[in-house]
Amino acid sequence: MSKLHIKIDKASKSFGPVEALKGVSIEILRGSFTTFLGPSGCGKTTMLRTIAGFYNLDSGDIYISGRLINDVPSHQRNAIMVFQDYALFPHMNIGANIAYGLKINKVPQEEIRKRVARTVQYLGIEGLESRSPGQISGGQQQRTALARALVMEPEVLLLDEPLSNLDAKLRMNIRAELRQLQKRLGITTIYVTHDQAEALALSDQIAVMSKGQVIQIGSPWDIYYKPKNMFVADFVGTANLVPGIVTEKNGRAVTVDIDDAKLRVDEPNLEVQPGEQVTLCIRPETIQLSVSEAAGGQNSLQGIITNHIFEGALVRYWVEVGKREIIVDVFDPSDKGIFTGKVTLSVHPNKVHVLSSLPQESN
Amino acid sequence: MKERSKLLREPLLLATVLVIGICLILFVLYPIVRVFTYPTLKDFVEVPRNIRYLRAIRNSLLMVVLSTSTATFFGFLFAYTVTRTDVPLKSVFKLISILPLFSPPFMVAFSYLMMFGKNGLITAHLFGLRVSILGWHGLWLSETIAFFPVATMVMEGVLQSIAPSLEYAGRNLGATGFTLFRTVTFPLARPGVAGAALLVSILILADFGNPIMIAGDFSVLATEAWLRVEGWGDVSGAAVLSSMLLLPSLAIFLIQRYWVGRSSYITITGKPSQVEREPTKWFIRWSLFGFCFLVSVMVILVYVALVAGAFVRGWGFDWTPTLEYIRSIFSRSPELIHSLSFAVAAGIISAVFSITASYLVSRKRFPLHKLMDFICILPAALPGIFFGIGYSIAFTRPPIDLYGTAAIIILSMIFWNISMGYQTGIGAFQQISPSLGEAASNLGAGSMKIFRQIEAPLVKTSFFSAFIVSFIRAVTTLSVIVFLTTSSNAVATFTIMNLVSDGFYGKAAALTTALLLIAFTVLGLAKLFIGKRMELFKI
Repeated sequence: MSKLHIKIDKASKSFGPVEALKGVSIEILRGSFTTFLGPSGCGKTTMLRTIAGFYNLDSGDIYISGRLINDVPSHQRNAIMVFQDYALFPHMNIGANIAYGLKINKVPQEEIRKRVARTVQYLGIEGLESRSPGQISGGQQQRTALARALVMEPEVLLLDEPLSNLDAKLRMNIRAELRQLQKRLGITTIYVTHDQAEALALSDQIAVMSKGQVIQIGSPWDIYYKPKNMFVADFVGTANLVPGIVTEKNGRAVTVDIDDAKLRVDEPNLEVQPGEQVTLCIRPETIQLSVSEAAGGQNSLQGIITNHIFEGALVRYWVEVGKREIIVDVFDPSDKGIFTGKVTLSVHPNKVHVLSSLPQESN
Repeated sequence: MKERSKLLREPLLLATVLVIGICLILFVLYPIVRVFTYPTLKDFVEVPRNIRYLRAIRNSLLMVVLSTSTATFFGFLFAYTVTRTDVPLKSVFKLISILPLFSPPFMVAFSYLMMFGKNGLITAHLFGLRVSILGWHGLWLSETIAFFPVATMVMEGVLQSIAPSLEYAGRNLGATGFTLFRTVTFPLARPGVAGAALLVSILILADFGNPIMIAGDFSVLATEAWLRVEGWGDVSGAAVLSSMLLLPSLAIFLIQRYWVGRSSYITITGKPSQVEREPTKWFIRWSLFGFCFLVSVMVILVYVALVAGAFVRGWGFDWTPTLEYIRSIFSRSPELIHSLSFAVAAGIISAVFSITASYLVSRKRFPLHKLMDFICILPAALPGIFFGIGYSIAFTRPPIDLYGTAAIIILSMIFWNISMGYQTGIGAFQQISPSLGEAASNLGAGSMKIFRQIEAPLVKTSFFSAFIVSFIRAVTTLSVIVFLTTSSNAVATFTIMNLVSDGFYGKAAALTTALLLIAFTVLGLAKLFIGKRMELFKI
């Protein structure tokens, strides 16, 4: 299964003076779920539309199953897109919307009927076929849009922020369903979103984009725990980004001086030298927070809580450590209560991640 | 009750509501009512027995069907070409489809008489043909060219408001070229096409300028009404004929406004996306290009003929260049001065009136405000001829006798045009959040102060748009003033009509050119000062 399916090679595209894509390259495996993640205007939607065949590249190549498809029209790519606004045809009912592609492609009537019936059942929207798009709920519209794509049995499914118009609760539910569905059908899926939580939850592979470039490609795990630079660390999840200077290196053990304290880092394959300026990335939930001042062992810092918010599953604290503010998440506060005043923070050396260089912009 | 007591606490607001209300009743409703009450019941009953009436009805219907079809079809092709294809000269086509909107409506017929008439430059002199354009076919051609721009304008808006993702989705699912057009683009535009057709049909039904100049013996309702008064002094007959114009016109208007308006598929998505169109197939591209090019030539010919006609001594027989006509409109043409001054006065008052009314209706709650809304929109449905005969019956005899005065012309121009400004104003007030006014009121400002200090500055653009549209329509109208004009208050369009019917093409062309110059200058100045935000002809 894990064979190369889509290859994008140095794709570039400009709209007038705006460079939407600047040499994007990525390889996508068959049956995988890949997400283009980034802030608005980063080029992720342009990338998706280019794969769909709505835009022509200025330079670079796109291959699907080894075939160069730069000049293949949209409908011959077998890559079907679900639009952010769903793009349901308002002049057709739900049934006609779903059957549209099959009809245009002259699939026999009987076959159309069967496939539509199977798809609506699959997506739980039976019985809506004779309604018009304006008469069904947002969630149902979303499923209809998905049904219209899936009924084509596409080789590649393209999803452009399909959950962004749904309310938070529904979004969580459909997110889980979508992942399950994709795994079951095994369709190579490319997803575009600016929601990092969605990307982490859904993907096999994430490509973080900024200003028309891919900044990092990796599994959700790598993107979260091993962000390549400050942009990725900051965009995906919450991160404490602490600048410092490497003072010692002993195999994989590194000591970093952060003004008023020293932090030990235990990370494999670190390529830093003593004297080098680095930025440490520490996730809020990896920090231990305790009220006893005595805990002054390895990697511990003294601080004062300045603010907190209670989020139910966790309490988020802002702790002043020297001149710096560190965010700490304490999960399951039910029997700990809310802390105040002086606290000690500690973090295990293998939970500190060193960003390869100093604050680096994406370009 | 609550509404009333609130009104009583603000005397200035109360006074404004009263003034606007009384003006609307007196200058819009009263003349309409008079058209129906002036003739006796017998006059109405005799309609089916009058052969001339029946012929006029039949001819009007025929022209509405023919000209509406072609004008809508031309308009759709133009709009589609401009918004959906990659033909060359698109911006030129766009400009050409706008020009006739700001020109006197009779201009096309007049100009085609000079080009294609019995003694026309192209027919008689270029090709040596002895054909006459007078009659229904000439009228059909003129109305098509005169009114397709309205359809273009409406449908351009409709085509542009179709969410691009819908067409992308269609392409992605396999529909290309004509299939995409047939299954997605056209069905989505269909309510817009219907709306455009209805709008055009109202204009064609009410058209007076083109038939009076080019239809010859082929009389339609509007021209027949004029002939009743002009030939027989039969005001009752004219009232009966023009009331027969009103009913279908009003019906179409209401259908267009309340039915088509609601069934439209216009979707406004927040995210304007870059649209890359599929290249149009070469034969479609060149067919559309050829079509638009030919129609554009027909439009340009109109202006060429008019301007050329102003500089030729005797069109059709004596082609010596002359400045005589141009000079004459400066030396002895009170009608041009009248046109200009009446239209300026009407434009300003109409804009003030309609913007104030739109403010009251959109921001204030008072008894009968729905009725005020309706009366303000109503004039858009009234054929000019109908409105003119209404004024002539209502205001040329006691108790209100304005016969032969400037006032009657100006008043008719004001109130015939309030709908355009009114709707522009409503649109503007919808866009300005009421919370601005609420904030001011919270800080202690009264109704009129809020209007003056907060909202008026924000609707300045709409005010200018309202002025320009009213001005241009006033300066170019013929049908409204044709019954109200005497030698003392004649305006240019009236004089032109008489000159054309007497065959004095040179001076008529010079006067029309002057009118065009005035209209385009005002438009150009407005574009310069207001720029892109200007919204003209909100329909």
